[in-house]
Amino acid sequence: MSDRAFKPPAPEVVERARRHYERELSPEEAQEALGVPLTPSEVEGNLELIRWFRSRYPTPLERSAYVRRAWRRWVGTRQG
Amino acid sequence: MRGSEFDEAAFFGAIQGSGARVLLIGRRALVFLGLPVLTADYDFWLHIDDIDLFNRALEPFQLYPSRPAEEARRSGRYVLANDEHVDVLVARRVTTVDGVPVAFDEVWQRRSEIALGEDCRVAIPAIEDLIATKRFALRPRDVEDIRFLETMKGGLDE
Repeated sequence: MSDRAFKPPAPEVVERARRHYERELSPEEAQEALGVPLTPSEVEGNLELIRWFRSRYPTPLERSAYVRRAWRRWVGTRQG
Repeated sequence: MRGSEFDEAAFFGAIQGSGARVLLIGRRALVFLGLPVLTADYDFWLHIDDIDLFNRALEPFQLYPSRPAEEARRSGRYVLANDEHVDVLVARRVTTVDGVPVAFDEVWQRRSEIALGEDCRVAIPAIEDLIATKRFALRPRDVEDIRFLETMKGGLDE
């Protein structure tokens, strides 16, 4: 079990992923990404997440506070 | 004011009290609407004539502008930062990556408001306009957000 424990990826891998995720898409990539219609299962999955988030955190400020905590946790994980 | 002590209600109350024409955009707007996405920043689209009003309102939070108002008007953007990071867009009009012009005044006319407390509200663009702002710099994460917003547009029971 212990050898399956989560190990954060190396910093350079994280940085490469971040750059990939934050880059501006080319017009062709944009067309391809947005040209795909939402599938019923994607819609259902999204709605499920939204309903969960709204019911767990009923007010906008509660949602934002949760995201602030989640961000701090995520940054903490990245920094080890 | 350290990030962990940041009083969001007071922050948005000060913005509302400033009288500045300003829209919350970016992922924080999505979070307020109930979309579970991660962000550390606050993104605003501010009327180009209201920079001073906005900046003055945020001085008590020790959030100071990265450049003078005149320079911000020329560049179309600036930042207010301490432990918090506030990105401000001040262009009258922005063109999406696929060439559609989006004018602040028109988006402002169509805005909606989110109640944050008894006397505190924040203005956000209509969903269709929020999608348009996501096309200003279409990144992979913006595509994800657009798909989330499209889901909302399709109808979500309140």
